[in-house]
Amino acid sequence: MNIFWHELKQYRRSTIVWVLSLCFIVLFFLSLFPVFSKDVETVRKIFESYPVAVRDALNVQIDIFFTLNGFYLFIFTYILLTGSIQAANLGVGIISKEAAGKTFDFLLTKPITRTQLITRKIAAALTLLIVTNIVYLAAAVFTANTVSHGDFEMNIFILISLTLILVQLMFFTIGLFLSAVLPKIKSVVTVSLPLVFAFFIIGMLDSIFGNKVRYLTPFKFYDPAYIIKNGTIEFKFLLIEAIFIVIVTVAVYYLFNKKDISAAD
Amino acid sequence: MNVFIRELKVNRYPLLAWSVGVVLLIYSGMLKFAGYQSSGQSINQILDQLPKSVQAILGLNVGIDLSSAKGFYAILFFYIILVATIHSSLLGAGIISKEERDRTSEFLFVKPIPRAKVLTAKLLAAFCNILVLNLVTLVSSVCLVAIYNKGASATHDIILLMAGMFFLQLIFLSLGAAIAGISIKPKGSASIASAILLFTFLLSIFIDFYSKLENLKYLTPFKYFDAKSVLTSGKLDPFYLVLSAIIAVVLVATTYLFYTKRDLDV
Repeated sequence: MNIFWHELKQYRRSTIVWVLSLCFIVLFFLSLFPVFSKDVETVRKIFESYPVAVRDALNVQIDIFFTLNGFYLFIFTYILLTGSIQAANLGVGIISKEAAGKTFDFLLTKPITRTQLITRKIAAALTLLIVTNIVYLAAAVFTANTVSHGDFEMNIFILISLTLILVQLMFFTIGLFLSAVLPKIKSVVTVSLPLVFAFFIIGMLDSIFGNKVRYLTPFKFYDPAYIIKNGTIEFKFLLIEAIFIVIVTVAVYYLFNKKDISAAD
Repeated sequence: MNVFIRELKVNRYPLLAWSVGVVLLIYSGMLKFAGYQSSGQSINQILDQLPKSVQAILGLNVGIDLSSAKGFYAILFFYIILVATIHSSLLGAGIISKEERDRTSEFLFVKPIPRAKVLTAKLLAAFCNILVLNLVTLVSSVCLVAIYNKGASATHDIILLMAGMFFLQLIFLSLGAAIAGISIKPKGSASIASAILLFTFLLSIFIDFYSKLENLKYLTPFKYFDAKSVLTSGKLDPFYLVLSAIIAVVLVATTYLFYTKRDLDV
């Protein structure tokens, strides 16, 4: 239990900063919604004059585009980007920092197995991610409520917001996996930033991969448009994610248990 | 001289990886462009009527013709500078702070060279790295665009944009170096540098969303050499060139000032 509390303490300040940034971003973007919806009528007319092919290319469905949830769908990319960096940092750093700080051999002299050690660290990281999401969700719902005067579908808004933690979990496990595979990570951000931004850019260049891009980058894995339309998250993708996370986590345990840990000199 | 050569050597594989990344990015961008070009529909005029905020939401860059290679490259440029600035800020912070992080600073500074000289060698090595990345981007852009482009040549515009990107790289390199130079706990310098990078990146998107924030554009280098204005005016805005140069010089001077004086974290 000591390790768990220690990790929470270690990451306390950075988690607060991440939570505040996420809240600030959602607050800022959503507060633009009134400005944006002011032009509704003109934009609607322009859109309706477009050929269907163009509308499809832009991924615009007129009926949802002007609702708060439709607006949220477009800004959510940047929320995901920020949250993913946080999660990737946690994943890459939480175990590898012991090696970088030369505290691994100290930790391993304690009467716990490596498996227990990893479990506690993962539990601490999950706690931090859950706390982040709870605070974020509260801030997002509050802002959405204020700017739209309660005129939005809360369930769907919450469902879209929940994909944040789902994407974060993917980046967290990928980060953990990298920290298990790479020989020695000296600086966490030099691994996590390229990782997240590579996937971010793949997501932005989506049309070259067509529909398959969903399987290539966590950023496109959950389709908010589907959530808006159907009111649920696609079960198939939840299942894929669950399988992915289980396999990778098992691999992480296996690799860390066998890994050569260099002692501090 | 030894420090310089050693830094070049240490950084050659990371540099290679970043170069490959940039080339892949440009290549995949051009594949996408080939799709646009062959579909033959220029949707730009109709899109131009949309309010700016809506265009920003849809990720369109106002007034750029996507069906020309030049216009398409302008969109791609946004992602290229993202990659290049991440590289330079991590490099700048890392190259200074790694001695303390890896506990090699005592070893390094018992050598008969003053700190300022070490710093110069390191900064020069970092400078070479960003220069190489810039040239790789330039050459691969020119070649890949030429392969897929059926319209007017875009070489001149690419050179111009790459010159702008070089200034951005300089800013973020010196920013990373300055943070590592100032901070007493240099381990966190790469995180701080990337936090600033993320903040300025998001700020540039905020400005796109909400034109009343236009005045904040001085705060984010991502707005200094906006592809659209560079391409329409045909030159880099001299004001921002000077501003970037001043920022870079001030940051480098700060690095020297603090790093030569502060206690090393041993």
